[in-house]
Amino acid sequence: MDNSAPTDLVELVRRAQRGDEAAQRQLIVAYQHRVAGFVFAMTSRSDYVEDLCQQVFIKMIRALDRLQAPAQFESWLFRLARNTCIDQLRRQKLRRIFLPFGEEHENIPEPPGAVDSEELDALRHALAQLRPQDRALLALVQEGRSHAEIAETLETSVAAVKARLHRAREHLREHYTPPHET
Amino acid sequence: MKPEDHAWKALRDHAGAQLRSDFAARVVRAAQGPSEASWHALRRRGAAQLRPGFADRVLRAARNLPGMPSFLDQFAFSAGTAIVCIAATLFLHSRSEARENEKNLARWQQIALEAHQNEPRL
Repeated sequence: MDNSAPTDLVELVRRAQRGDEAAQRQLIVAYQHRVAGFVFAMTSRSDYVEDLCQQVFIKMIRALDRLQAPAQFESWLFRLARNTCIDQLRRQKLRRIFLPFGEEHENIPEPPGAVDSEELDALRHALAQLRPQDRALLALVQEGRSHAEIAETLETSVAAVKARLHRAREHLREHYTPPHET
Repeated sequence: MKPEDHAWKALRDHAGAQLRSDFAARVVRAAQGPSEASWHALRRRGAAQLRPGFADRVLRAARNLPGMPSFLDQFAFSAGTAIVCIAATLFLHSRSEARENEKNLARWQQIALEAHQNEPRL
């Protein structure tokens, strides 16, 4: 539980809940890069990032008044981001069943040089081998979410989160092939 | 040295030559998993995909999208659709039943008339 959220953030969330557009804008600006990083870790696709981030923040604006505890805003926002990405990946999977040739278009690799380094490519490749739920788990940890917050986000116990995290890290290591040193 | 020892040494040398010079370092790095720097680069790369003015575009889109129907609205719409479907089914069923009854009655009348005409007069 993120009860240690700064009072500034809590106040900002309350203003945004009352419909203050400046506060909503401030929240988007404050979190857009972190959410974009999370979405990229989940999808490994640069061209999905802006669209999915937009979906996440639109959902945020619309559902903000239903957030009971403004101090838990961050956990709540990343839950929205996780669910949006998993929905997108599910839709993509369904599309592949009904449009088998769509896969060829949807899986166009990033152009060479578009990705920063071989190290990053290796990480993206390893992440792509994991289940979306495991990817989300690792990305949430990288986001600095505590085990308790992740448990709350995933509506499970802390022990289950630790066990799943351990397995996800193992799988990531299995698929991670570091690049050769130059 | 026995002749087979030479063969074993050659085999080991050949196998060893297949490994790159950074083999040990790569194994250690693979065992440790992706570095913090890789994760950082991943997040940075994701963040770089947002074009300037992202927040304004989100707010504009949120303003322009039609409002989400409430649960009550959705329930009322579903209930209305169900009522219309049931009413249409009942109407079609009663109409076809009435038509069938009329047809049967006409047939019976026909049969009764024919039976009456064919009855031998006493």
